Amino acid sequence: MATPAAVSRHRWRRHGTSYLMLLPFLALFAGFLVWPLANSLYLSFTKFDGVTAPQFAGLENFRRLLFDDDRFRHALGNTFLYVVASVGIGTLLSLGLALAFSGPGWPHRVMRTVFFLPSVTSSIALMLLWKWIFNPGDFGLANTVVGWFGGRAVEWLATPGLTIPILVLMSVWGGMGYGMVLYVAGLGSIPQEYYEAARIDGATPWQQFRRVTLPLLRPVTTYVVVTGLIGAFQVFEAVYIVFRGTNNIGGVLDSGLMIVPYLYDQGFTHFKLGYASAIAWVLFLIIFALSMVNLRIGRALKEL
Amino acid sequence: MATAPLTAPVTAPPAAPRRPRSGARRGGLLRLPFYLLSLTMIAPFYWMLITVFKPVTEIDRQPPSFVPEHPTLNNFHDPGYSPTQVNPGHLQGLFQRFQVDFGFGRFMFNSLVITVAITVGSLLIASLAAYVITKHRVPGRRLIFLMIVASMMVPWQTTLVPTYVIMRNLGWLDTYQGYIVPALAKAFVLFFLVQFLHSIPDELIQAARVDGAGEWRIWWRIVLPLLRPALAAMSIFIVLAEWNNFLWPLILVQSDEMANIPVALARLNSYFVGAQHQGAIMAGGLLASLPSIVFFLAFQRYFTRGIVLSGLKG
Repeated sequence: MATPAAVSRHRWRRHGTSYLMLLPFLALFAGFLVWPLANSLYLSFTKFDGVTAPQFAGLENFRRLLFDDDRFRHALGNTFLYVVASVGIGTLLSLGLALAFSGPGWPHRVMRTVFFLPSVTSSIALMLLWKWIFNPGDFGLANTVVGWFGGRAVEWLATPGLTIPILVLMSVWGGMGYGMVLYVAGLGSIPQEYYEAARIDGATPWQQFRRVTLPLLRPVTTYVVVTGLIGAFQVFEAVYIVFRGTNNIGGVLDSGLMIVPYLYDQGFTHFKLGYASAIAWVLFLIIFALSMVNLRIGRALKEL
Repeated sequence: MATAPLTAPVTAPPAAPRRPRSGARRGGLLRLPFYLLSLTMIAPFYWMLITVFKPVTEIDRQPPSFVPEHPTLNNFHDPGYSPTQVNPGHLQGLFQRFQVDFGFGRFMFNSLVITVAITVGSLLIASLAAYVITKHRVPGRRLIFLMIVASMMVPWQTTLVPTYVIMRNLGWLDTYQGYIVPALAKAFVLFFLVQFLHSIPDELIQAARVDGAGEWRIWWRIVLPLLRPALAAMSIFIVLAEWNNFLWPLILVQSDEMANIPVALARLNSYFVGAQHQGAIMAGGLLASLPSIVFFLAFQRYFTRGIVLSGLKG
């Protein structure tokens, strides 16, 4: 029989090892996530050029962002428009693709792979490819297609009204395969008996879809939409690679300016690091609110 | 030791095999628009591929050729190019465009080193932490897990500015450790491994403890092998994310030598403007994409399963 002292010594030793095993992750987590996050909050209340020490400025950055900065307002408006359009269209197409190609046979598998391909391709390579496709010359792929239908060459990337539609197109094209994979899994988990029961009751295919498939896919839809929104709010590469001009990150007349490109522009082109941190916290609040919708975290904690 | 039954939660398909859906027979017509849509998926990739193998003079021809008429590898390396003498129809190939040793190969090497280091490192430290959180009754583990899970709601761009300042103060700008160290603690990996370890019975670890195995040994010899399917799924995510990572490297890297492939591509795009350079740029895009596409095709099954598990089961 062990003495109480021996038991506690044993416990300590075991917990000592446990904490030692947690240490690498926790130290890096604290050093490169928690600490920068706290810092970022602090910097958002300062004026900081990266060279001289940060000067405390209270809520000045946020006041300017919300009331004085037309570019930021423009960036927010663009981002909301882009996010709603790309997630809306993307989710609908993902669902359509999943319904069309959920089968186990090889033609469906090939189709799923084809639609998923952009998700695993280098995003910079894809953006360079789009830029090349939308080349304003007659030889650009987009203008060649327009030419087949008798149209004149279009200045795709220099027409402000086309910027958001092109960004939405690139996003939907690149992202619908990902949503499709999730929807295919969701469809697979619907028991076939439900459809049989519905058929016996005389439900038409449309009624089956409307009354059985859609309601049972609700959790998948929530997940696809919320993660889609979160991803879309963070768009950067598309704007930076495809639309950036020589001294302007957001494309012609800032028509493609969005939150993260503006953060980069203020922080790392103009070195207004305090101001950029304030932008980062606006982004944080948006994403945080969206994530709260996502029940994943609540469910995860229940498991522990 | 028989590990097979224990891995069943992940190696089994996520759902029962599906029988054809109702209305499958009439589905052909409804599917037609989606088959047409798939052509728009292929077309851009095809356009990239043919541009890579067109000679400079064919790239901006009107109307364009849809099969390269004079296929060439000059967009990778053009033997007809000379830096001192103008040679019409010849430009630097991709590997001749950066003044660094091995040209573009240097960036591929950088990307490879960074991707491998982050993947191995982050899986090791996350598996250690996940093991403790699920199988050790240490005080504070719930709080720690709560904090880590909560951090998944933070967009990582929020930490961009301070992390840049930290790297500068450490003198780590433009270094491999600047790429690797901040990327090691990945909350979503820990979260996924914790979920997976919950499905592994504690008795297995208790048995090893009774046999006198130390905690490190249990982690290395029992936990890691049991985690293999989960590690495989996660490694695919990490490899693809790090191979294609752009915004952080863009801020971190100053010299050409330390660029990863995406940063090098972006520089290629801003150094060389004009249609005649698109052959070399697309060649770079192809070299950036091909490894990750091949990697994906090789591990496709794990990958889609990983998406489904991390997305829907959570």
